[in-house]
Amino acid sequence: MNNLKIAGFLTLAFVIAILGFLIFGSEKEVDYSTQIKPILNKHCITCHGGVKKNGGFSVLFEEEAFAITESGHAAIIPGDPNGSELIKRLTASDPELRMPYEKEPLSKDEIDLLKTWIKQGAKWGKHWAYQTVQKPKEIEGKLTAGISPEGNVTASNSIDFFVSQKLEEQELEFSPEENYLKLIRRASLDITGLPPTQKITEAYSSKKISYEEAVDQMLAASTYGEKWATWWLDMARYADTKGYERDVNRTMWPYRDWVIRAFNKDMPYDEFTIEQLAGDLLPNPTQDQLTATAFHRNTMNNDEGGTQDEEFRVAAVLDRVSTTYEVWQSTTMACVQCHSHTYDPIRHEEFYQSAAFFNNSRDEDTHDEEPRLRFFSPDEKTEIASITKWVKENEGENAAKAREDFLTYLEPKYPSHSAVDFVNATLLDSKWLGIEGNGSAYLRNINTQGSDQLLMEYSAGLDGSKMTIRNGGPEGELLASFPINSTGQIIRPIPFKEIKGTVDLYLEIENPNAKPDQTAARFIWFAFVPKLEGENKSGYAAIQKSWEAKLNFRGTKLPILIENPDYMTRETRVFERGNWMILGDKVQPGTPKELNPWKEEWPNNRLGFAYWLTDKENPLTSRTLVNRVWDQLMGRGIVSTLEDMGTQSDPPSHPELLDYLAWKTMNEYDWSIKSLIREIVTSKTYKQSSVISTELFTKDPQNKYYARGPRFRLSAEQVRDQALAVAGLLSDKMYGPGVMPAQPDGIWQTVYNGGTWTESTGEDAHRRGVYTFLKRTSPYPSFLSFDAGSREICLSRRLVTNTPLQALVTLNDPVYLEAAYFLSEDMLAHGDSNPEKAISYGYQKLILAPISKPKLAALEKLHTEASAQYKKNPAELNSFFGWKDRTITAEQASMTVVANAMLNLDEFLTKP
Amino acid sequence: MKSLDKMLVEFAQQKLATQTRRHFLMDCVSKVGGLAMAPLMFGCDTGSSAASKGLNLSQRDLNPLAPLPPPFGAKAKSIIYLHMAGAPSQLELFDFKPELIKYHNKPCPDSLLEGRKFAFIQGTPNILGPQANFSQHGESGAWISDYLPHFSKLADEVSFLKAVHTDQFNHGPAQLFMQTGSARLGRPSLGSWVTYGLGTENQNLPGFVVLTSGGKTPDAGKSVWGSGFLPSVYQGVQCRSKGDPVLYLDDPEGMSRNLKRNVIDAINTVNQEEFNAYGDPEILSRINQYEMAYRMQIEVPEVMNINDEPESIHELYGTQPGAESFANNCLLARKMVEKGVRFVQLYDWGWDTHGTDHDGSIDMGLRNKCREIDRPISALLLDLKRRGMLEDTLVVWGGEFGRTPMQENRDGKTQGFLGRDHHVDAFTMWMAGGGIKPGLTYGRTDDFGFSGIEDKVSVHDIHATILHLMGFDHEKFTYDFQGRPFRLTDVEGELINKILA
Repeated sequence: MNNLKIAGFLTLAFVIAILGFLIFGSEKEVDYSTQIKPILNKHCITCHGGVKKNGGFSVLFEEEAFAITESGHAAIIPGDPNGSELIKRLTASDPELRMPYEKEPLSKDEIDLLKTWIKQGAKWGKHWAYQTVQKPKEIEGKLTAGISPEGNVTASNSIDFFVSQKLEEQELEFSPEENYLKLIRRASLDITGLPPTQKITEAYSSKKISYEEAVDQMLAASTYGEKWATWWLDMARYADTKGYERDVNRTMWPYRDWVIRAFNKDMPYDEFTIEQLAGDLLPNPTQDQLTATAFHRNTMNNDEGGTQDEEFRVAAVLDRVSTTYEVWQSTTMACVQCHSHTYDPIRHEEFYQSAAFFNNSRDEDTHDEEPRLRFFSPDEKTEIASITKWVKENEGENAAKAREDFLTYLEPKYPSHSAVDFVNATLLDSKWLGIEGNGSAYLRNINTQGSDQLLMEYSAGLDGSKMTIRNGGPEGELLASFPINSTGQIIRPIPFKEIKGTVDLYLEIENPNAKPDQTAARFIWFAFVPKLEGENKSGYAAIQKSWEAKLNFRGTKLPILIENPDYMTRETRVFERGNWMILGDKVQPGTPKELNPWKEEWPNNRLGFAYWLTDKENPLTSRTLVNRVWDQLMGRGIVSTLEDMGTQSDPPSHPELLDYLAWKTMNEYDWSIKSLIREIVTSKTYKQSSVISTELFTKDPQNKYYARGPRFRLSAEQVRDQALAVAGLLSDKMYGPGVMPAQPDGIWQTVYNGGTWTESTGEDAHRRGVYTFLKRTSPYPSFLSFDAGSREICLSRRLVTNTPLQALVTLNDPVYLEAAYFLSEDMLAHGDSNPEKAISYGYQKLILAPISKPKLAALEKLHTEASAQYKKNPAELNSFFGWKDRTITAEQASMTVVANAMLNLDEFLTKP
Repeated sequence: MKSLDKMLVEFAQQKLATQTRRHFLMDCVSKVGGLAMAPLMFGCDTGSSAASKGLNLSQRDLNPLAPLPPPFGAKAKSIIYLHMAGAPSQLELFDFKPELIKYHNKPCPDSLLEGRKFAFIQGTPNILGPQANFSQHGESGAWISDYLPHFSKLADEVSFLKAVHTDQFNHGPAQLFMQTGSARLGRPSLGSWVTYGLGTENQNLPGFVVLTSGGKTPDAGKSVWGSGFLPSVYQGVQCRSKGDPVLYLDDPEGMSRNLKRNVIDAINTVNQEEFNAYGDPEILSRINQYEMAYRMQIEVPEVMNINDEPESIHELYGTQPGAESFANNCLLARKMVEKGVRFVQLYDWGWDTHGTDHDGSIDMGLRNKCREIDRPISALLLDLKRRGMLEDTLVVWGGEFGRTPMQENRDGKTQGFLGRDHHVDAFTMWMAGGGIKPGLTYGRTDDFGFSGIEDKVSVHDIHATILHLMGFDHEKFTYDFQGRPFRLTDVEGELINKILA
């Protein structure tokens, strides 16, 4: 650009500015999102937007706001406030006309603001949350690091820069840094969920490693993944049972282990997202990528008798849409399910467009929860490789892939619950097709893919049945005919006549010996997989045998997402008023217009949706992530309503900080969560002391501006893990099926469910909380007391409460009594028969700080009181704390009582 | 047996020996009131600690269950909600339909089945006539069957809602809908809303207590007393008849009460030191919670212990100390409300009478279930009344839906026993006590008892009415979550004005 052109631009800009001044006066431009939208939302939108459009006027969407209303005119005429009906009606003196109808009028300031906005052209704007994250302005140069004259820390990293700006505005200052050992305890509880290891504490306190190095070691520890998985699993609604009435067990733990591993290897968040939402659609997905898709199989599954599988399949799909939007977009879709969002600009149809992405997976709320990923042993994998090799040689690459996929997750197949038109047949327990001695049923719209073999999973309680399958009806072409004898549930191959296209299959059973009403066979599913070719070659029999054996695999199976093949595609329709039985227009997959645009190169399926979600143009994914990680560490989100980031959410306390972290996480950290955590925990903001002066509490009771460090009660899992850790009881065993540590008798009383709580033994009794078996209708009771959820639905934020029931847990739950005993043993071992020394040692171990005199005095007093009691009544030492196999001396008992109290101290239960 | 019959006779003669309300209040001040003062005083203690720091904290900051006055005039102070999990048959208990006798064992008219879905019924089932004998009772002339001989004498005390309808025909979702206003998970239960709004009078007992009988918890699991998006402090606390009455309530062996006092004192002294250093009001709240826990350890076993109740009370309710029974739970409910518990929720399991077995039959199993509740429910109403507590205690009775006029034909087969399927269109509930007009029958169903044809009442209407009686406008009683105000009644619910006293 040459100088002349620049001059020209400058002149032009000047002229526009002057013109602007002449037209608009000196008024500052009104911002729609921050100034106008809140007024409209507060006063207008309940009657003019979303569900209601009184007078044909709505302020929800731009085109509606400027459209012709029922009066025949537009209510807002840009540039003409006084001619705009909106303003006239706000200021009308006739109560029948004045808006808001029969409510408080708007204030003069609000009306003036609306007038100015219209005068300036009534420019519609995008809410900040829907605007793409921009590269933050350069700020590094403005930083001043060091100690203020008062001894306070001043800004040191970019976070601190943004925080200090707000502090200045509020006339607040950073607090000094927290006591260095308490700080390391804070960081460790935040990063690993546990107190720092002895190794780190020693190296750090002897200054062998810096705080930053200690943080790096914690981030590298495998305990990091266990801590942060807990956070993710709340959102993923991970549990070990299906939920609803029968709430039977389900195998989901391989997914939980995948999450832990993903965190530990710091899988970039975009990859983490794509694999969970659409790992099955990636080219040649690995076992891990398929495992990740179990994220959306955490939806509940209803086995209650009399429930329609389709109803709960639909419920699961809708839950997947809502959960996806809540987890990645901080957007509540539940309202949009029934009507356009009253407050956020997302339309009713757009919900169903999103649903269309999720409506095409094979799972159908069947009792067996198919499709399930089968975890074969290494030997079995070798066998499968041989089968695949065989098929490749005899049938080619595609056939080999299809057969391998079928062995991996048994799809595609037709569940028997879609059978119809029963004669002496029924859906048993509304789940499985049962055909009687001379009964029949139809499977409609079946595409056999021209297969010469049918596979079916079934069981039968009767010998001597003859089953026939015909094309179209009782007189149709015979496709298969075979005997059925009594058997447990098996998968069986059956020769089948090759037919083309989509057909209705007529299934019939004859058995002269069957009593009336007696079910001859119960069917689970039907699939069409051709016979293995190469019958004449040597080795065929072994391959065939191996294939049939693999089909009937009995090992670990994890519910996963598998997309429908083309011929099984479901169409998606809008549900009128959210009712799945009232179907409206057909919709195609699509994403909300208000958010980032769709790119042509993306496939139009779940995978494309995942790409859209993790595209850097998506305004909400990165903001949501950093907001929630910030909340985990600072105890409050930058947008405090974690589940909602939109026009109704709390405004961000530090908008620039939010965007800075979002931008940096995407662009500089390449979606590394560890890097994000590292940046936050090494900021001065995080490292501040959490002491609250009266002044600070008065000015900022919620610590919204961060003039002090975060101080919060630990989570349910942390409370237990920490107690076990300090007692030296915590097992470091990772992964595997959920464990069942001791819980009181009689907690599990679920109906129609044989499940029992079988107490884990050995180290499994003391595993980390993340491994505790979670039954949805009856979660581990002490976790429930400490605000953990039942994981039936997505939970973005645990509210922290403070109740007497929590006190009862840490005072009396046998787990904590056990921990107290082992802690006291350690204290006594370090006490040289001196209670004062033992208590001081114990306190230092728990809190990582020396005990103050008054605190020591209080605990010593307790020790004296306990000693006196046990000396007076030595009988109380028999089966002390209910332990039958432990001989306890008065000294041990007294110190155990002190340790019990110490495990209940506020400072122990709280992140310092 | 004698005592209940005697009392029912006395009641019938309108000569019920009742203490006056004034007397009752006097009693309370000396018993309950005195204890209830303790936490407030302690609250003052921690409060003064806060004040010394210049912290301006509300009672709720220190104790989220501190009592709050209702926003509008309340008719009731507490609620006892009796939920018959599984759904009792209105057609054997309250909704007398002679027409069904005529059609008994005949195919159900197609007009009733068109476009309908049932949980288990397939094709065309037969009509099943009432299996109980009905007669009218009291001055109000309410129809009650001989399955409930004692309760029928209290017909004039309750208001029947004969045309309640729901939209969920599976137990889990229907129970959730009935208890949380939504068939989806994640909403707070009625009891959570009420304790969130009003707190509770006695800080030594949980504010929202759940008692279960019948050997199982409700089908929908603990979510029916969950706090949903409200803080978990408002979730129901299950008090159990076996094991610790409240989980982890009992001190371990070798921990005497004195020593526990010392333990709490030591903890709270250290915590007070910590507060002096850190100034975090949460520490004061924790000090409060530990005091409450200590007192709860005394008061919960006291209230859960029915051993020392007079023989006349055991006779009245049919209670047996140590058992887990609906009768015991009714007595416990009365004791708890008397002590200032805000909301007592009873679940009795075993009302799902499909006719698949003896216990699930309409003629035998249901009759037995009715025997289990007839006396205790009657006793509860009478006991509340004579203590002057019925006027400000709301008692609600019902299931999660009703049962079909048709006989169930599960899997297309005739059942071995007489049974009815789940039915959502019309069923009966009743309410009594605080603010309810006694002796009223509201709503009417068609000749088959299939659908409501007059004064129909939805689940939301019931919730709106319950909240109204507790002093709330159900449209204004909201909690902000996910960027919008949520209410128990969602966007629906109308007051059932005609049943209000």
